[in-house]
Amino acid sequence: MASLFQQSMPSTGPGYSFASAPTHHSSSGPRQHAFYPYTDNGGSTLGISGATFTILAGDTRSTSGYNINSRYAPKLFRIGGDGPENEGARIVLSVVGFAADGNALKERLDTMVKMYRYQHGKEISVHACAQRLSHILYGKRFFPYYVTAILGGLDDEGKGALYSYDPVGSYEREQCRAAGAASSLIMPFLDNQVNLKNQYDPASGEGLEKVMRVPEPLPQETVEQLVRDAFTSAVERHIEVGDGLQMMIITKEGVQETFTPLKKD
Amino acid sequence: MRGATILKANEDKTRQLNKHTLMAYVGEAGDTIQFAEYIQANIQLYSMRNSTDLTPSETSSFVRTELARSLRSRSPYTVNLLLGGFDPRTSKPELYWIDYLASCAPVPYAAHGYAQYYCLSILDKHHHPDISLEQGMKILRMCTDELKRRLPIDFKGVVVKVVDGEGIREVEYEDGGQVLAP
Amino acid sequence: MDALVAQYSQPSHSAQDTTLDDSLALSSKIAPPLSLNFELPPIDSHSAWLRAMTDDHSNPQCPIKIAHGTTTLAFRFKGGIIVATDSRATAGNWIASQTVKKVIEINSCLLGTMAGGAADCQYWLAYLGMMCRLHELRHKRRISVAAASKILANLVYSYKGMGLSMGTMCAGVTPTEGPALYYVDNDGTRLAGNMFCVGSGQTFAYGVLDAEYKYEMEEDEALELGKRSILAATHRDAFSGGFINLYHVKEEGWVKHGFMDTNPIFWKTKLEKGEFSNVTSKLE
Repeated sequence: MASLFQQSMPSTGPGYSFASAPTHHSSSGPRQHAFYPYTDNGGSTLGISGATFTILAGDTRSTSGYNINSRYAPKLFRIGGDGPENEGARIVLSVVGFAADGNALKERLDTMVKMYRYQHGKEISVHACAQRLSHILYGKRFFPYYVTAILGGLDDEGKGALYSYDPVGSYEREQCRAAGAASSLIMPFLDNQVNLKNQYDPASGEGLEKVMRVPEPLPQETVEQLVRDAFTSAVERHIEVGDGLQMMIITKEGVQETFTPLKKD
Repeated sequence: MRGATILKANEDKTRQLNKHTLMAYVGEAGDTIQFAEYIQANIQLYSMRNSTDLTPSETSSFVRTELARSLRSRSPYTVNLLLGGFDPRTSKPELYWIDYLASCAPVPYAAHGYAQYYCLSILDKHHHPDISLEQGMKILRMCTDELKRRLPIDFKGVVVKVVDGEGIREVEYEDGGQVLAP
Repeated sequence: MDALVAQYSQPSHSAQDTTLDDSLALSSKIAPPLSLNFELPPIDSHSAWLRAMTDDHSNPQCPIKIAHGTTTLAFRFKGGIIVATDSRATAGNWIASQTVKKVIEINSCLLGTMAGGAADCQYWLAYLGMMCRLHELRHKRRISVAAASKILANLVYSYKGMGLSMGTMCAGVTPTEGPALYYVDNDGTRLAGNMFCVGSGQTFAYGVLDAEYKYEMEEDEALELGKRSILAATHRDAFSGGFINLYHVKEEGWVKHGFMDTNPIFWKTKLEKGEFSNVTSKLE
């Protein structure tokens, strides 16, 4: 039930900003509330974990309805570390949905991770950070953050760790996850290429004799190429995705950030 | 049912269409019997004119067409149907699931309404294509017991009819008494 | 020990560094009406607002989609309790995940199941785990399933009408109670019973389970029936699917019996036992 929400299915057309969405004003429709503190800033994020690394990625377009507000608005944030640039951080948070809520969430988690280090004299583990993020999100159960978060890092054994969240804090550790506007375009691709869903050993026979291929952690270069392919494809078919691809690769050496341009139309 | 009152507890909600085809119906009061008897009359008319009966699959096509035509009229019939028959030429029993939107599907077992939610999983598990009448009656008992056990409304029992090579007959179906959830 | 208990027996939020949390709480001006410090929207009708934002049943265009649809079951038999669930999470028609763990391991002898809002179940069953541990520290013995489920029922009842969504079962075996099974939902209902199925696929699971359930079953029969009941629900309910998660609770604690892909099990059941005769394996 880790309800990973997503904004708009391709079949329902483009995702509207809620302010400009054609809403129904008939009296029989759902009651409209004047208090609407959310907007959707579009975009997509994705994360894949490997044997010794985790990659998080997000496009850098920020939209409001059909307007593009920024071509470089990062969705990926280093959590913990030192100074304004969070140097030395080993945990990365990606948020997609309402950017202001995402920013507020990032600030709270970052503060909390830093407080943890001051109080305990050691870095927080990813699984503790993941649980704390869940509690922060659930703390606003009755006034939710309109965000889908993905948290990446390395676990106690040095393996890649990736946690995905719904807006009110249910979470699950996974191998891969896409979130945001184009999640319905990217996630099936990831299922097939990372978890090898519906792929069978070609030597195993026909029909019900077929043997499923067993997923193994992928090498870093393969994953990076998968991420780029996922985004270039999403850009072709979703109006809210584009401009640039920000990637953060977490290894035992630290967080390495890369930027790849995407189509800007 | 009229409002919250039961008018009759043992109504037979089936119509015999010809020697080996039976149609069961549920739906909007009034529509059900009007539609069922209209179909019954036309199938019987066909038998008289041509001195031969329509097979169950032919009957299902006719019923579906009539429902589809009704659906596009000013006042469509709101009737869901199960059409059971025995084809004497192939010597095989057939069952058709038909709903008020004129969907028609040949199926090994079927239900309409809330019974779908409670009985289909039982039928999925216990039905096999080559079961005997006795085994069939046992599965039916499992289904009616489950409805008694779990349906929030009081279940007033069933009328059971068997369609086979000999034609159509009603069989005695004892109300097994109260069934409680474990 | 008492000091340790006192330190952790406050609600989870007040146990943390208060200066930090206070400075972060945006609505600190509003007195928190709840036992735990949840932030509320600055309007009068919270629950109506929350429903407009998150309930995709009454408002399909709602921006925040929280998952529904699931099948979970648990039943008592002479050898303990069988707990089984599917693993699908849906948000509208979108399958958000096929690998959700809907059996929550509260501690080594107590299991909870998850239906309704994922976050609600995860959070409050973790909270229940904490309360159960505190009970052990205070009383030097394990909590009864009756008491544990009552803690949860009272908790959700205090939030009644606020929009929590959970249908959960608590299963455990204790020396005093034997195998005990309780159903707790967001209305505040708490029922003890032999058998419960919860979720959108419940009726399908009940169908299979009721027909063959006997308290005097053997362990392998009981495990097979639990598995088959979930399979029935995944076959007929579109909101259920993924993997079958199977547990057996005994007095020594629970044992996990696998997280099994439904698709191969379905075909094995169909081809070896001839069930599911409505499905044809080849096109006619």
